[in-house]
Amino acid sequence: MRNSGAVLILTFIAKLILQAAGVSPPGKPRLTSCRSPEKETFTCWWEPGGDGGLPTTYALYYHLENSETVYECPDYRTAGENSCYFNKNDTSLWVNYNITVVASNALGKNISDPVEVDVVYIVQPNTPENVTAVVVHDEQGPFVRVSWEKPRTADTRSGWITLIYQIRVKQEKDEKWEEYDAGMQKYYNVFSLHPDKECMVQVRCKPDHGFWSEWTQTTYVKMPNYIPRERSLWILITIFSIFIVLILTWTLNVKRNSMKLCLLPPVPGPKIKGFDKQLLKSGKTEEIFNTLVIQGFPPTTDYENLLVEYLEVYDNEEQELVLDGKELSEDFMKSKSSSDNDSGRGSCDSRTLLLEKCMDGREGSGSDQHQYSQHGETSWASTESSESQGAEPGSPESTDGRAKTWPVVFPQPHHHYPVGAVKPAYHNVPEILNQLSPHATPSNYHQLHHQDIPQQELRFSKSACRHSQSYNQFNLDSIDTPAPGVPPLPSLEYVEVQRVNPENMLLLRPLSDPNREPERSDCTGEDYSKVKVVTSHNILLLQRDTSHQCVDDYSQADQCTTQQPPHPCKPAVHQWNSVMPQEGMRVMGNGYVDSTVLMPSF
Amino acid sequence: MSRSLKQVAVLLVALLCLDPHGRVGSAPICAHGPSGCHVPSLADLFDRVIQHSARMHSLSNDLHSEFEQYFLPSKNHIGKIYRKCHTSNILTPNGKENAQKLAREELTEVILKLLMAWRDPLFQLHQSMADQQDFNSFSSNKALEMGDMAHELRKGVEKVAEKMRVLGMLGNSVTGLSAAEAMLPLSESGEAMSDYELLYCFRRDSNKVQNYLKILKCRIVPEHDC
Repeated sequence: MRNSGAVLILTFIAKLILQAAGVSPPGKPRLTSCRSPEKETFTCWWEPGGDGGLPTTYALYYHLENSETVYECPDYRTAGENSCYFNKNDTSLWVNYNITVVASNALGKNISDPVEVDVVYIVQPNTPENVTAVVVHDEQGPFVRVSWEKPRTADTRSGWITLIYQIRVKQEKDEKWEEYDAGMQKYYNVFSLHPDKECMVQVRCKPDHGFWSEWTQTTYVKMPNYIPRERSLWILITIFSIFIVLILTWTLNVKRNSMKLCLLPPVPGPKIKGFDKQLLKSGKTEEIFNTLVIQGFPPTTDYENLLVEYLEVYDNEEQELVLDGKELSEDFMKSKSSSDNDSGRGSCDSRTLLLEKCMDGREGSGSDQHQYSQHGETSWASTESSESQGAEPGSPESTDGRAKTWPVVFPQPHHHYPVGAVKPAYHNVPEILNQLSPHATPSNYHQLHHQDIPQQELRFSKSACRHSQSYNQFNLDSIDTPAPGVPPLPSLEYVEVQRVNPENMLLLRPLSDPNREPERSDCTGEDYSKVKVVTSHNILLLQRDTSHQCVDDYSQADQCTTQQPPHPCKPAVHQWNSVMPQEGMRVMGNGYVDSTVLMPSF
Repeated sequence: MSRSLKQVAVLLVALLCLDPHGRVGSAPICAHGPSGCHVPSLADLFDRVIQHSARMHSLSNDLHSEFEQYFLPSKNHIGKIYRKCHTSNILTPNGKENAQKLAREELTEVILKLLMAWRDPLFQLHQSMADQQDFNSFSSNKALEMGDMAHELRKGVEKVAEKMRVLGMLGNSVTGLSAAEAMLPLSESGEAMSDYELLYCFRRDSNKVQNYLKILKCRIVPEHDC
């Protein structure tokens, strides 16, 4: 007991001394791999774990499964340093080898972990041999035929081992290898190689259950310089297409004129009934315009100008004045679009559209005579009149207060247009006053007080319509009816178009204008007010005329009360005559436009 | 009216189906001798059989690695205890020379013995794999397929042997396998082997079979792939 204790202590001290001296038993070796090149022999390699400063020897021991007999490695040399080579006699297949390596030196030994090996599953053949790459010239282009031989050690002849091959190809300046599987054959044709480039080839093999061998040394082959077939095909296609293009160009050239007709059809000339193009060409404007005028209509014997129009002015908000061309229909009274803020819809769209709409509206409204004129950029005007006119826009039959977006001059807010009375000619100005509709009902009509109208001229400048079109829809009443026949309809007012000035402005003049023929009632002019200008906000600015005479019939009182500030309300009569500073129009709550606002006269 | 027509049509179809003479039967191939059809040559038979054995071995390899991956946490070889495979009683050549030394008949017999020995154990393996919840259905299907393939392979090899005998390549020393050859996979201790052990053993044995067939083929019909 004491001895063993002493021995232990001594051993411990010896170890300490030795450690201080830098020597120790060897480190643990480790078996790195075992490989068999042909399934008949195999080799195992290990790495030493550190020799501990002393010369160390290594020994490999193995035993077969289910057997206790331990054998030592038969051959430490053949395979090199730290290896063990098992030759054919020592190799048994389908049997597990339990292998360990023992490292020993003067101070001790160390045993590695055991490794179980079945030779059948550790087969890694040698590389294939005699790799050759040859360029073969074919009618479709040259390709490379790579051929090789099996590794010498592998016995495929007897069927003992079966190898499959793989080749990889890289052309110069490529980054990646292209890999191809060759199966069990010993050659391979490589296509799609670029001409005039050097080509590198490598081959490797593998048994059906095992590891891949190493790649062979690179074999070089140079592709010849040739024009690939593809390119020649493209050249052919290019030439052919050029040919076709030339033919097409020539054909186009020959058929130039008909092509022009087809692609750019000539703009149709104006088709106006009774309009003679030759007259235009001849350049005599007088004659041209004469043709446009239907003789005897309107009965304007005393008028200086060609066009005499009447402006129908309503003062009753309940009167519906269908001024929008689009609303022209027999049912315009019940028209749905009461909420349109339309400025020029229908009128500015197109001349012809307007004309159509106006035509449509004309039917069935009675024996109204309409006279339409359009003043547009083309500055042609046509007038039409017929006995059977359709429902005129703003026909007096309208009783619901939904007028459309045409400004209407109303003499009185409460007056009704008597049915059956002479239909006044009215003036439609698109987009002029379409903003001024604070009325509860979504009506956009604008009513101008006719109080200051008489002896004033309504001048309608070119509207703010986008298309710069403003048309005036005129309804010629039966002008032959004596003026007294026209009651001083408080709800109706007439404006007469004096002339069309060069700026496409209609100069309107109230019928009560003293300049006019005496058959006109003087007092009908009291409902007129001169429109100075149409502002950018589609506001019709009226001018007050100081020469108004027939103001007595009007009482502005009620209107005054409903007027909006800023203007102080003026007595009815005087409002007509006083010249006010230039101000904007006042829009009253009931939709009337206060025409008492003065505009500087022009 | 249409309904009754339909019923009549169904009845007719049923009659046709039930009528044994109306049924399409499968006629045996080459019933009228070699003039009518292509009789596979020995080389073709060998190729088929070898392909079959390759497929069988890859299946067993897959199952074994699956087993090792999922059911054996430790790769510690020390911990593994291998019992002897039940086929270790069959003497099999364990090297190339040994295999080449064997006569064709013996080699054929070894192959057949091996395949026979695995008929029941594979069935057992499939059963136990299907029973256990651990295996997914894919694995147990593989085991089933493996068993079927072993069975088919045995039949194929028997046909090859028959052909060889007909061609005079084999002597008559090939003895028929009797039921006594079928062995139960009992280890020495009498316990049944575990699934893992069965798989391990079968992987090895299927490799043997494949190898022997290849050797046999290259010995008998060396022109293809040898």
